Amino acid sequence: MKRRVSLQTWNWVRASGLLCGLMFLMLGSPTAEAYPQFQFASGTQRCAQCHYAPAGYGLLTSWGRDESADTISAWGGDGGLLHGKVNLPSAIALGGDLRYAVLENAVGGTGSPEFKAFPMQADLYARAAIGETGISIYATGGIRGATRPENGKAINHLTAFISREHFVMWKPSATGAYARVGRFYAPYGLRLAEHVYFVRRYSGFNLYEETYNVSGGYLAENWELHLTGFTPPPASLPDPLQTVGQRGSGGAAFAEFRFNSMAMLGVQSRLSVSSDQRLIQGGTLGKVWVDRAKLLVMGELDIQRHDVRGGTIGYNQLISYLSVTMFPIKGLMAAAVMERYQEDMRVISTARTAFDLQLNLFPIAHCEVMLFGRYQFPGSGGADGDSASLGMLQLHYYL
Amino acid sequence: MKLTKSSNGNDAQRAHRTIASFLFSVGVLFAGCGGQADTRPAEWKYISTAIIQPGCATASCHSALSQRSGVRLDQIDNGYASLTTRGAAPGTGGVAGFVVPGNPDGSALMGLLNGAGTRRMPPDFPLPADDIDLIGRWITEGAKP
Repeated sequence: MKRRVSLQTWNWVRASGLLCGLMFLMLGSPTAEAYPQFQFASGTQRCAQCHYAPAGYGLLTSWGRDESADTISAWGGDGGLLHGKVNLPSAIALGGDLRYAVLENAVGGTGSPEFKAFPMQADLYARAAIGETGISIYATGGIRGATRPENGKAINHLTAFISREHFVMWKPSATGAYARVGRFYAPYGLRLAEHVYFVRRYSGFNLYEETYNVSGGYLAENWELHLTGFTPPPASLPDPLQTVGQRGSGGAAFAEFRFNSMAMLGVQSRLSVSSDQRLIQGGTLGKVWVDRAKLLVMGELDIQRHDVRGGTIGYNQLISYLSVTMFPIKGLMAAAVMERYQEDMRVISTARTAFDLQLNLFPIAHCEVMLFGRYQFPGSGGADGDSASLGMLQLHYYL
Repeated sequence: MKLTKSSNGNDAQRAHRTIASFLFSVGVLFAGCGGQADTRPAEWKYISTAIIQPGCATASCHSALSQRSGVRLDQIDNGYASLTTRGAAPGTGGVAGFVVPGNPDGSALMGLLNGAGTRRMPPDFPLPADDIDLIGRWITEGAKP
């Protein structure tokens, strides 16, 4: 699905390549790389059509690369590796994500609002298929950074190497059964790119919370099922292989049902047991694509039960997400989002509510500009605590 | 790529109704639940797992991986140790640093949470006032583990 591109377009490509090359020299910590908004909106039904991972996320397939250019980007381009200049054997796939972010964050206190410009992500991906066996090896490696480096020096944005994902997978065909073993996020809920969304941050899927898993499932045309057993890495493993978060062991299940190429309903549950607590999670998510309006409505609702060790303390939490995403013209995605996280369902003032606006521009294959604005407040605002706001510009280039 | 369309209007309507019901449920639950009275226990185990770990032990902050400013808050035990013994003179067994038992006004932690004369913590979202009050109550009651 290659297209002819103008000289002006190639100037865009060269300029963006140069910019991203400079960014690569400075880079740091990852967000993620999945866009559940593209399901139905791009005409694609299953996440695994565009991603090698069976539930989406990470390295794009050749189909996904073509879609990123032909369907998603305003002026097309060539979605192939290095703009199609490099052709690898079909058994080998390489890729990468580079992001740079500028943000202003206001939470009150000394130094607020703070202004930060920092490298956000530098990840390289590699995938190799072993003959016709259906078996493949997948690994991600990148540089971990920080929004707020310890001593304020730019060099400390580059802190350490980390491998967020590495797994061996058996997936003999586009649909049907699959299995994989290794490090990745267990399929659960919306796989949003931005980890600041409450349904990611507070549900065990925040930055670097990938666990070690044994996972399997089945992909059909109109439904899919993913079952995962997980555990944290041994504490003796080096930092690049460590996970952040509760370090629990347990299992997760996620099922998705699609209707008429325009809607889906998902259900999920997860049990995690750590030295501190037992966490039981359950929830549902849904999407409706309104083709006439080029509009996607998407929501998720999760309930979490925590039982703290010792057995005397337990509490329930609620996390919800509701968005309306519009695709008014090719290359532009605009979303209005409302989120809620209630830390303890016994006390309404422990809730956090956020309103977000997200604008993603895809001028040409490989390039993205993202603008994000958030206003958030605790409880019902006012006496329940101080509000906060965040504005962010993100530049993204994928190899 | 062309979008695939269904010719079955009934199926489409049924799907719309199902998803609309789901979205309505999400919308209703956005209204929140629970009461005004704070009946939560002022105990460290609760504070650590419900407030501190999700708010502070993130990848770039006070997780095991980053341990910013030497503070680790990702588990009940190490979080307690970080807040109550950091800065204590070696061998004294004394409590120092972020929490002074019985004295919330003298505890640096309260200043950080309120952003009083210092950068506010967490730096991305102020804690609800009732959470800060609960931590203050825990300190007032002796900041027990």
